[in-house]
Amino acid sequence: MSSPTHAEPVVHARPHKINVRILRQDGPGQPSYWERHQVDYEENMNIISVLQRIASQAMTVEGKKVTPVAWDCGCLEEVCGACTMVINGRVRQSCSALVDRLLKEHATEIELRPMSKFPVIRDLMVDRKRMFETLKRVEAWVPVDGYDDMGPGPKLSRAQQEENYPLSECMTCGCCVEACPQYTKIEVHRRPGETDDQYDQRKRETYAQGFVGAAAISQAVLFNSHPTGANIANERMAVLTGTGGVQDCGNAQNCVAVCPKKIPLTRSIARAGRAATLYALKRIFDH
Amino acid sequence: MNATNANFLTRHDFLIRRLHSLTGLVPVGCYMVVHLLVNSSLMNGPGAFQTNVNQIHSLGRALPLVEWLFIFLPLIFHAVIGVWIIRSGKTNTDQYRYLNNWRYTLQRWTGVVAIIFIFFHVFHLHGWFHGEWWLENVARPWGMANFKPYNAASTLATALQGFLWPIFYFVGIVCCVFHLANGIWTMGITWGVWTSDRAQKGASIVCCIGGIGLLIVGLSALSAAITTDVQQARNVEDAMYKLRVDTGEIVDNPEKRYHAPESLGDSTEEASPDEDVSE
Ligand code: HEM
Ligand code: SF4
Ligand code: SF4
Ligand code: FES
Repeated sequence: MSSPTHAEPVVHARPHKINVRILRQDGPGQPSYWERHQVDYEENMNIISVLQRIASQAMTVEGKKVTPVAWDCGCLEEVCGACTMVINGRVRQSCSALVDRLLKEHATEIELRPMSKFPVIRDLMVDRKRMFETLKRVEAWVPVDGYDDMGPGPKLSRAQQEENYPLSECMTCGCCVEACPQYTKIEVHRRPGETDDQYDQRKRETYAQGFVGAAAISQAVLFNSHPTGANIANERMAVLTGTGGVQDCGNAQNCVAVCPKKIPLTRSIARAGRAATLYALKRIFDH
Repeated sequence: MNATNANFLTRHDFLIRRLHSLTGLVPVGCYMVVHLLVNSSLMNGPGAFQTNVNQIHSLGRALPLVEWLFIFLPLIFHAVIGVWIIRSGKTNTDQYRYLNNWRYTLQRWTGVVAIIFIFFHVFHLHGWFHGEWWLENVARPWGMANFKPYNAASTLATALQGFLWPIFYFVGIVCCVFHLANGIWTMGITWGVWTSDRAQKGASIVCCIGGIGLLIVGLSALSAAITTDVQQARNVEDAMYKLRVDTGEIVDNPEKRYHAPESLGDSTEEASPDEDVSE
């Protein structure tokens, strides 16, 4: 038996090429298909830089000319959430997904897929509108309307600030809902002759039937624990106990495991559950 | 499911899910704990077990009402809504192999096993309905409805002979106990009893220990049932039957007794209440 005689460990000899398998889709509602690409290895690459090379080559590994692969990005420092996709089977931001680390997980290939819970716009770009609509439904803000000086706001205790700050880091990236077994994809296709407004309206109504998801639950909890935000706490609770509310969570706790901001989502969910219990009892007895 | 049903369920989503959660513990979960504890009294012999069963059957005519109102109906509600909940999600343990995600998936699998197990378990021993027509034409011809409350241990042991039924009961008990123990943990999150990460971890450990305890109780009941000596148990039960009928603690009801197959023509087991069995 000729085993390697050198003491040299099986160092990840820097590859010359990186193989990338991409799940592509030409447009909303179109069928998806796999495509293989290859780019030259460079040091300190992230998935965004790989995708830049792939788009500029616009050629598969077999040498076939193709349209450039489309993707989305913004901040390039894991704060906007726009670049989120499923990389090697796990949802994460492509700007902070480092190639060297990915190759250590899986040496021969990197696999890129768009998030599976949102409608695909093109290739790796998805439409997270459902998340933003849900944030509007739970009124994830502090309601201070008007131009008049309302004086200084109420003070938050140090402890409360420390509890709230992590929740405020959410970037609506979608990782939590992508990994959630209870959050299922809703895609609304445009009907012939439908105006933009009609289509938007129908999307909003359909999205409102689905699970709100961990991010929106956590934002509702955040603004309900703000002294001024709490003015409309009951409106938020009405959404959280309505169709697709916090009760749809099945406690798989994937959300908290994949959140790039390490937001204590399951804590927020349990707090929302407690508030929902009290809110429902109040509704029964205060009627 | 048609659109109206789906609409009714989604419109009352919150209430229905919370009722589903509640019925899992009260009455179904509580009943299961009592049920396994009572069964484990068989470890102390057929007499101890018979005493507990007599206690339950002293409810007499009210028993079917109690059974349906507090056990079968809540269980059927929990099971039907459970299936609806299972269908509303999509497990992804192949992609996200986290412990809690496995628990989520197992909660669903054990729920499905529980439906199958409980359906056949109740049919096998209880028969589902007490009507004579049902028992004569459906349950008994299929080898079901084997349990005779006034011959509790002996009919139970007879029904569990062979190796298929014991395996079936083993799997059923393991799944139901996991489902309850893990269910109590998720319930604490659902209702907001344990909210912080630490509290949830602590509750998880407590539920795990409680589950192991209940599993030991359930499995010792099963092993006691399998190892019971049928003839010896029957003698004890028949003696107890006579005494308890004489003192009026239980109602004389031949339906709830064991009757030897007629072809054998051996009437010792069919001791009529007038005969003195004990002496
Ligand atoms: C032995 C009988 C059973 C007991 C003691 C029991 C108990 C429980 C408990 C305590 C919960 C926790 C509720 C919560 O998380 O809020 C639960 C959840 C659940 N049960 Fe059962 N159950 C039983 C049978 C069944 C059956 C037959 C099904 C049908 C498939 C089922 C399906 C479910 C599901 C899907 C959940 C998860 C609900 C959720 O996370 O939203 N269970 N059960
Ligand atoms: S909670 Fe975390 S995973 Fe979910 S959207 Fe916000 S940042 Fe992303
Ligand atoms: S804990 Fe709830 S919200 Fe989070 S992944 Fe699980 S089911 Fe989804
Ligand atoms: S580009 Fe903003 S998070 Fe990646």
